[in-house]
Amino acid sequence: MIRAEVVVELDGREVYRGESKSFVQNFGKILFAILNGTGGVPLNYTGSVSSATVQKPDGSTATVHGEYYTTKTDAQSGGGTAMGFNARAGEDAWGILVGSGSDPESPTQYNLKSKIAHGTDPGKLYYDVHTVTSSYSNTSSYVEITRSFINKSSQPVTVREVGLFARNRYQTSAGVEVDVIFMVARDVLPNPVTVNPLGSLLVRYRVVLTT
Amino acid sequence: MSQPLNPMKGFIEIEVRDREGRVIQKGRHEMRSFTNNFLKILEGFFNAYGNYPPGYDARPATKTTVVAPDGTSKDAWIEAYFYYAYGVNTYTYSGGVAMATRAGAGVDSYGIVVGSGTAPFNLNDRALATKIAHGTGAGQLSYDPVSLDDLGLDTSVSPPVYRLRLVRGFKNLTSSPITITEVGVFARNYWKHYASVFVDVMFLIARDVLPSSYTVPAGGSATVAVVIEVVMG
Repeated sequence: MIRAEVVVELDGREVYRGESKSFVQNFGKILFAILNGTGGVPLNYTGSVSSATVQKPDGSTATVHGEYYTTKTDAQSGGGTAMGFNARAGEDAWGILVGSGSDPESPTQYNLKSKIAHGTDPGKLYYDVHTVTSSYSNTSSYVEITRSFINKSSQPVTVREVGLFARNRYQTSAGVEVDVIFMVARDVLPNPVTVNPLGSLLVRYRVVLTT
Repeated sequence: MSQPLNPMKGFIEIEVRDREGRVIQKGRHEMRSFTNNFLKILEGFFNAYGNYPPGYDARPATKTTVVAPDGTSKDAWIEAYFYYAYGVNTYTYSGGVAMATRAGAGVDSYGIVVGSGTAPFNLNDRALATKIAHGTGAGQLSYDPVSLDDLGLDTSVSPPVYRLRLVRGFKNLTSSPITITEVGVFARNYWKHYASVFVDVMFLIARDVLPSSYTVPAGGSATVAVVIEVVMG
């Protein structure tokens, strides 16, 4: 059995814990692209084996690849990943993002309603690094990804929605061949959470397996 | 607090036909059995970065550890960048896949695999209790290729679901009936560049012991479908 949780902590105190109920169809599409791979292709294989079309945060569509082999013939290097979440500090385009919108969740959504950008100005939050932790046993296991946000401005910032954004990217030394960021989950918090100046917010997505 | 919800469900659908093609047994069972290997791959995706500069060399940049059917721990790569050191104008052909399931005909090491064991499931399962191998010898089934259908978003149910359907056919080309009691989904992690395969690992991501057995008569066939539903709020 699989469960997913969203946990929100404000200044070190848990203020929300609930079942995440908000995967969007982009997640189904990238899962298809990954599972639809074959592996075992010949060494001279190049291009996509398995792909899907997702909706980017601007609403346009893009092709993502679950199994892909770089195509540049004048490059010295190549590689990538089907789905990365581990954005660094200050990167507010993917990983865990927060927003101030409160529109209800819908499976066809592709962006937060109103993203709170990274920064130190009023209305912004400082996006910190992600951490990933896990625990495994015979009967109950989990993996979670966490990101903290700090209000370095002089005004309170109110968070009403959280989202999980993935990055599908393949590159060579000659250039980037695929680079698509897309939302896979969005949760609206039942109550707004206000982060005061110098306050911190922590958002955690946890996936739990049980027998 | 929002209402409890299982964000991902699965169902196993089995249909058995006799040698004349008549359906003689069918059933649908809820899956309860994604393994720790599946969660390990998800952990790898959580750790993957995906924004290195062109020319980056890391084999791998992100990996996780899965347990192979023989019980050994193996690296499974999630993100990798290969560098060819001998000069420009080389063909890179570099990349891979983290969790492929679309195995070809006759391949019984990944995709949907069936067995005759009944050992109870636990999250550390790494193999079927007793795999039914591909073949035409006694006790074997002939494995068809795996297909995966993207059935898309279904908003006619509440809550809506996004549905994928993994399907494989099995033929009994022997002279005796063969009984299926367990179904597994194995994935393949495969990464290569123009000259070498770096990783090629198969691992169990789901296993279910069926509540009732299915017997494929001599000359008959079985179709096994694993329906994955991503549940959306």
